[in-house]
Amino acid sequence: MSVSIPKDLVGDVPDDSIPALVGVRLLKTDSSTAIFGNYENGDREIRFSPLIPFTHGLHYGVWVRGRRVGSFEIPAVNATDRPELTSVYPSGDTLPENLLKIHLYFSRSMREGQSGKYVTLLKNGKDTVSGAFLDLQPELWNADRTKLTLWLDPGRIKRDLQPNQRLGTPMQRGSQYKIMVSQDWQDTRGAHLSKSFEKSFVTTGKDNLSPVPTRWKLGIPKKATSQRLIIIFGESLDYGLLQEVFSIKNASGATVSGKWSTVMEETQCAFEPEHPWQPGKYVLQIENRLEDLAGNSLKRPFDRDIRSKRPVRTEGRYTEIAFQIP
Amino acid sequence: MKKIYFLMVALAGLMLLANTTRTTRGKYGMVVGTPAIKSISGLAFGPDGVLLVGDSKSATVFAIDTKDATASQTAPVEIKNLDQKIAALLGTEVQNITIQDIAVNPASKSIYCAVQHSDGTPVILKIDGDKIQPVNTKNVAFSSLALNNAPAEDAKDKRGNSVRVAAISDIGFADGKVLVSGLAGQEFASTFRSIPFPFSDKQDQATLEIYHAAHGKYETLAPIRTFTTAEIKGKKYLVASYTCTPLVLFPMDELKPGTHVKGRTVAEMGSGNSPVDMVTMTKGGESFLMMANSARPVFKVKYKSIEAYQGSLTTPVEENFATAGVDFVSLPVTNVVQLDKLDDTRMVLLQRRSNGSLDLWISSERYL
Repeated sequence: MSVSIPKDLVGDVPDDSIPALVGVRLLKTDSSTAIFGNYENGDREIRFSPLIPFTHGLHYGVWVRGRRVGSFEIPAVNATDRPELTSVYPSGDTLPENLLKIHLYFSRSMREGQSGKYVTLLKNGKDTVSGAFLDLQPELWNADRTKLTLWLDPGRIKRDLQPNQRLGTPMQRGSQYKIMVSQDWQDTRGAHLSKSFEKSFVTTGKDNLSPVPTRWKLGIPKKATSQRLIIIFGESLDYGLLQEVFSIKNASGATVSGKWSTVMEETQCAFEPEHPWQPGKYVLQIENRLEDLAGNSLKRPFDRDIRSKRPVRTEGRYTEIAFQIP
Repeated sequence: MKKIYFLMVALAGLMLLANTTRTTRGKYGMVVGTPAIKSISGLAFGPDGVLLVGDSKSATVFAIDTKDATASQTAPVEIKNLDQKIAALLGTEVQNITIQDIAVNPASKSIYCAVQHSDGTPVILKIDGDKIQPVNTKNVAFSSLALNNAPAEDAKDKRGNSVRVAAISDIGFADGKVLVSGLAGQEFASTFRSIPFPFSDKQDQATLEIYHAAHGKYETLAPIRTFTTAEIKGKKYLVASYTCTPLVLFPMDELKPGTHVKGRTVAEMGSGNSPVDMVTMTKGGESFLMMANSARPVFKVKYKSIEAYQGSLTTPVEENFATAGVDFVSLPVTNVVQLDKLDDTRMVLLQRRSNGSLDLWISSERYL
């Protein structure tokens, strides 16, 4: 946004004198500070673009040669046009006590650095678990600030680290928990969430084991159809990573194009091909960075006991599962 | 009063366009243009006043020639209510801005400050004495390096790259290399890159996964939160603090592309706390690690104690780490949200005082 100041208010001024003679200020008790921005000297007007957008709901004044010549208001945000928290993952209602990550999806770009204020974990309907989430600066947002990943404090989850010993794990098995997101959270324009959000779940025991793809089951589609290929994991896996780690190659090694989706509380993935399946051999390629809900990846468990003789599960970048469309 | 005619023109997206106007490469392979900075997670300085900007949203490091390479005539001073002063200069209220990072230009000793507006617009300001000025990022000499070194397979948009969540947790410069630590929202792992500067076309960068042995019992993989570099007994080290609080040392010469380096845990800095910034200071031939914390005062650790402690970490430590680790001193300075090195003995601190005021001030050498 920028504001145009007609030349007849300013008179003829050389480019380099504009900032000395013309200024836009925030209208408040002490309006002595000209705000930072760039001036463009046009034929009939001087256009001022502030470094950051003018703020909704605030009043600004235009000063020329030390005299206020006008003012304007940036209208407040339309209160009916509000952002929503559209989904929260994991979507299941039974989660391991060492759950590592929560993904929040919003309908609009949200303000950063606010999660500590607005997201709380409640135990048994009454006690707020303090310090449950890791306070990260910067927070883990996607580029357009519509998806946020929160980590439950890994120092408290990792066995024998000081936070784990002093404070214990954020969650304990066999308890009821609620993730609560306050309505006060604002989007980048300053509009609040349309409503507050609650997700309830119960906790089961610790999951310290890496997912094992050889135990997964595949639902094989019929040839010459666009039926979905189903991958059944037998446990819920991390939603964020499920979006990224799979691909299907045909016999010649080319990637089969199509759409992936996550179903049944992230215990299954489905792949719908763009073109009907041709009979033949295929390979499901999985990046080994895929994790379950407790941060155990295909490569290694979240916490690996180095005294254990068991080797790191998988080396390399990918695990492959071959299948055939008859 | 004469009624003013004004016109709002939407310029959204304009600053996201990199309009490189000239392609002749100047000093450090820079070209003149407008760097498309989408966010600022961290600031650091390279040689000759080159400002390094870590941009999480575009997964890019920008190097901008500030032309600010000679000693400033104005000594740094205390600025009370820095956030309110900046908000006024940007024409908004204090709740709409966040100070993301501060960095001292070692060439001029001016303080650079990254500010983010609530809509995400990033701004770089320069503080000289008590004077705050915007840093021009239009038509400046700059170069950049995209950190997304994912192979082609990864870069393919399976269900939209836009859901990818990642952040640059810290950025630094040492021995001709830009050091960048990163976090990925999806996986619990560490990426640490050591990128030669000037940036080369072939993007010769080291991507490392780092393991650290906590306790000698459990080996863990965790992301770095903040780091600094130091020399211990003539050897260069990366001193890193982790999202799960341990302080870990890595020999710099082992950080090579594609390698897995096992670090040495030298201390745990307390539960319910996370390190904010770390710097290495020197006084009277002795060096110190100074560390600002989210929930603790500023810690001072003697590198001598780290040296002494290192020997014992060549074998797994059996005792409880809650009490083990190097000794550190808590300084009577709390709620420091930003910290950088002004010179060998003085630091620039941004501190939330007990009266709520966010003040920028310079520490004297008596803190060492």
